[in-house]
Amino acid sequence: MFFLSRQTVHRNRSLYAGSFVALALGVFLLGLAATATAATVAYHGPAADTVVVKLPNADPPTTARVVLSGEDASGLQVVLSMVGVISGFITIFVIASTFAFAVASRRREVGLLRLIGATPRQIKRMVLGEALVVALAASITGAILAQLATPLVLAKASYSELAPVKLEPANPWVPLAIAVTAGLVVAMLGARSAARRAGRIGAVDALREAALEPPRIGPVRVVFGVLVLAGSIVLLALIRPGTGEAIFPLAMFTPMLLVVALTLLAPLVVPLIGRLWAIPLVAWTSVSGRLARSNVVAAPRRSASLAAPILGISAIAGSMVLTLSFAADASTATIRETVLAPIVVTAADDSPDLRERILSTPGVAVADGAIPLSLIRTDRDTADLEDAEGIDPAITTRTRTITPLTGDLGKLTGKTVAISKEVAGFGNYHVGDKIAVTFADRTSDQLEVVAIVKDALDVNPSLFVPTELARQHAPAATPTRWFILPAEGVDAAALTKTLDERLAGTGADAVPAEEWEQAQSEGMRKANQLGLILLLGPAALYSAIAIANILLMGSLQRRHEFVTARLLGATPAQIRRMVLWESSLVGAVALSLGTAITLTVGLLIRHAMTVGLTDVPITVPWVTLLSIGTICLLLAIGAALLPTAVILRHTRPSAALQS
Amino acid sequence: MTSTAPTRHTVVPTEAPALLLDGITKTYRSKAGAVEALRGVTYHFVRGSFTAVMGASGSGKSTLLQCAAGLDQPTTGHVMLGGTSLHGLTEVALTKLRREQMGFVFQAYNLLPSLTVYDNVALPLRLTGRKPRREDVHRVLDQVGLEGKAKRRPAELSGGQQQRVAIARALITQPAVFFADEPTGALDSSTSRQVLSLLREATDRAGQTVVMVTHDPVAAAYAERVLFLSDGLVAGSLDHGNPAQIAAAMSDLER
Repeated sequence: MFFLSRQTVHRNRSLYAGSFVALALGVFLLGLAATATAATVAYHGPAADTVVVKLPNADPPTTARVVLSGEDASGLQVVLSMVGVISGFITIFVIASTFAFAVASRRREVGLLRLIGATPRQIKRMVLGEALVVALAASITGAILAQLATPLVLAKASYSELAPVKLEPANPWVPLAIAVTAGLVVAMLGARSAARRAGRIGAVDALREAALEPPRIGPVRVVFGVLVLAGSIVLLALIRPGTGEAIFPLAMFTPMLLVVALTLLAPLVVPLIGRLWAIPLVAWTSVSGRLARSNVVAAPRRSASLAAPILGISAIAGSMVLTLSFAADASTATIRETVLAPIVVTAADDSPDLRERILSTPGVAVADGAIPLSLIRTDRDTADLEDAEGIDPAITTRTRTITPLTGDLGKLTGKTVAISKEVAGFGNYHVGDKIAVTFADRTSDQLEVVAIVKDALDVNPSLFVPTELARQHAPAATPTRWFILPAEGVDAAALTKTLDERLAGTGADAVPAEEWEQAQSEGMRKANQLGLILLLGPAALYSAIAIANILLMGSLQRRHEFVTARLLGATPAQIRRMVLWESSLVGAVALSLGTAITLTVGLLIRHAMTVGLTDVPITVPWVTLLSIGTICLLLAIGAALLPTAVILRHTRPSAALQS
Repeated sequence: MTSTAPTRHTVVPTEAPALLLDGITKTYRSKAGAVEALRGVTYHFVRGSFTAVMGASGSGKSTLLQCAAGLDQPTTGHVMLGGTSLHGLTEVALTKLRREQMGFVFQAYNLLPSLTVYDNVALPLRLTGRKPRREDVHRVLDQVGLEGKAKRRPAELSGGQQQRVAIARALITQPAVFFADEPTGALDSSTSRQVLSLLREATDRAGQTVVMVTHDPVAAAYAERVLFLSDGLVAGSLDHGNPAQIAAAMSDLER
């Protein structure tokens, strides 16, 4: 059947060119992510900056290399792996719907093959063979493009926020082999359900004029759809506050699950919502809206295939945008709640005699200048770089909220440490436990846990140590920020002004706490934005091509229908209007489902993150969200209308009479 | 219908029939209620015979063909093809029987547009897993008068030529039974003649059995027997009729 596959791919170029582009682009993204990851893996930090920590209790005993400055490519690695996951998911999704579409538009051809003696298994093999032909060509093309683009991407990524180091291309064979394999596997997975459906087409379908599909949907599919739907809702409901960095992957995975669920249920859901949206359309237009409704509702699988890429990207992009905005809201509230001092002094690295200047300013009652330091926390078999602060608990507890959940911060003297709940969770530490640490001066020690405090990751570090211990191991470190309490009766605004004057020339600034808080959350939003662009940029571009692609395929397949309608007396304008309403209807259905997913994910994650917080602002990025919807809709309409217009211009109605 | 005798008893088969229909009924269920397309058809198609099946629209002639070819399951009754009962066969077994024993020619030429004429004709053999021999393919192409057109694609051929490719495709497996559904429906009269002569030849020369559904008396006159269907029942038959007789019989039937 491979012979036949090759021929049919050749013939159905318009159907397969789309799949080829989609897959080649997907493999290109995967390949880039893989080669860039290889470059980050190959990167070793400068020797002077690297500490080798012994892990004698690991099984087998081993050592770990930790770059003290934190200047490695791990941030980039995380982003790259997420880019890989998103690209992989969207690729499977697009390929599956493209193939489903290709099979649905060839019912008669498949029926004919069955008629002249092809068994269902042979048909399945033919569809899979077609997928293989396309996948081979597309994967190799994508891999070659990825290899060509790698140096460019690495040059861009080097010395960036995510990888403040120089990255060199590594050996490309392994990562590219992975990308090509992934492309082939993805194509085969995507083609599998289409192949199975093709195998069910009967010989009698060759004789039926109308290529209408049966509207049935298997019970197994419904059950799976409902299970995945329930699973993702449960997952969302289980999220707890203080999830921190895990928000990114959660905001990415849960909408993916929901998208899968709705796609499984699409043949049920799409006609339903399509009918709903069609009510105003039918009322408003004459015949074109009515025709559009029939076309969308009567072929649920076809409509579902067309809607799938719009649903996929709108749900994932919408959820991530909304969730991250809500996460920033929660962080803003946390910062507000944590900072008690009305004034914050931010210092440059080398401000001289800052301590004396601040403390000698009249009106300053308490100045909380903690010493920032990095240390390596060693577990049984891991060594992690943690940020810490050397504090005097008597002072710091007056300027910031540090809520001990268990233990007593007053005991923070000598070789002790107070840890955040997050760290306690990682290492399963309790008050009284000893934690093995290595300082920047390469000395190791055991610190006793005296308290476990509530997470406030945007203001407080994950570990607190006594000031003396910090001084001892990081003698050169100076505070980078001071939280200032004015003396009783002293006006905070006036004191801010006085401080600012006294600090002139040191590079340090005194600002009201609200201003500092504002700057912190803005910084966070900016960082989120960068993350979103990196993660969604490639996926969005990819989806845009996929949306255009599948609608283009859809319109090209309908030449005969359009021409027949012309013969029956429809004007070109009427047909164009019908296609306009049809693609708008499909787009509206997909975007409604995408909106439902976005709202579900956004609201549930917001609820989980803000438990226990008061006064949380609500920021909805309307412009971004509406832009996503508008672009999807415009793409869908444009990609459907353009080929229709071309077909109508180049054919006479009489063409319907020729076969 | 003076020349028409009761069907079942006229032909006494001298050997096992190529195709046997035994009490076939077919009922379609839809929202509007049940429709009885066939109401009990029993008939033997003799080996090497050319039979035309005629009837008004909705008389059940296409359903009869589909049931006989195993494309559709009769509601009750049996179909035997060369001694094999189609009843209870799996889809795969049915498919294999179809590709080894049956050939199909339809009004829509039903060629794969992506394949050349040669590959279209060779396809049934490839589907059985056999490698087609060049001379076999060229022989059937010669037989239908398409020598030299092997490398063309269907879109480059006229309607009559496409239909002859379809016949060549059916001939290549040397099937026992040919099923034809309005094979000349889309052709002009001179190309129709060529196509019908080819079917006639299949029975005369190779002893194959042809069952052809048509509404055209001229086409039906190529058959040695015309079977008339009305309301899902065999209403009569006519042997060796000319087009005028067949047309008269048809209009009698419709009255």
